[in-house]
Amino acid sequence: MAWVGFSSPSGAAPGDLFERLRRDLDTFFDQFGGQQPRASSGVEPPLALYESDDAYILTAELPGLKQEALELSVEGPRVTLRGERRIELPSDPKLSVHRRERRGGVFRRTVELPAPIDSEKVEALYRHGVLTVRLPKQAQHRPRRIEVRSH
Amino acid sequence: MSQKPVEGTQRELEAQPKQPVARELTRTGPVFRPDVDIVELPDEYRVYAEMPGTDGDHVQIRLEEGVLSIDGDLALGPDPAWVPLHREYRLGGWHREFQLSDRIAAERISAQMRDGVLEIHLPKAEAHRPRRIAVQTA
Repeated sequence: MAWVGFSSPSGAAPGDLFERLRRDLDTFFDQFGGQQPRASSGVEPPLALYESDDAYILTAELPGLKQEALELSVEGPRVTLRGERRIELPSDPKLSVHRRERRGGVFRRTVELPAPIDSEKVEALYRHGVLTVRLPKQAQHRPRRIEVRSH
Repeated sequence: MSQKPVEGTQRELEAQPKQPVARELTRTGPVFRPDVDIVELPDEYRVYAEMPGTDGDHVQIRLEEGVLSIDGDLALGPDPAWVPLHREYRLGGWHREFQLSDRIAAERISAQMRDGVLEIHLPKAEAHRPRRIAVQTA
């Protein structure tokens, strides 16, 4: 498994990285039947990173996000997701709130990819409350198929 | 007021936020509890439930014996060919239920799903809507 650094909103203190690594291991073991929380609650969107032959794929759960409230930037191997989750409730003066579990606010997450990517070809799609960002690898970092010829 | 009009059922109150809920026999894979906001307006209650990865075709809302239950299945997931490097959230379905009081006009409940947020409108039964009573002067 490639080393992937995920920074916390306040910047990547080394402790945070270990904390995340520990949590990853918890998640890993959890898949064998534990009952752990599904994701950390809060305004910071939970992320997932995948790898395919030619790209890294970053996904984030961001239900109810207005697309204009999201900003994505790429700098070398670093991808930053910044935005604001607004929880919009009807603007009725007679509104009363019975339960409030959704969290709004400003968030910022930075992901350090294992290798630099082709920032010109990044594609992002927001669907059903999930953001999917495709980050193509630079040509020299893609696996190359070497043909073996036989006589 | 003895009973709140929209209240979690006993089973659902026992579950902690963002914890898997008791698995239903008919489903495979984990099922999670969506975060909700519940608000009251003069003529209706509204429930907003965050169910990312689910769309309107994969959501089922049922009302049975005064219990409103919400179920959602994943409509969007990662390509099985992708190798996971890091995961902060788990994938699965959604489930949550609420006990409704008779102050809700069950036959007029409506819902819509947008960007992973389910919005349910629960109109108040006529008798419980605020009514303005004109006071006549002699």
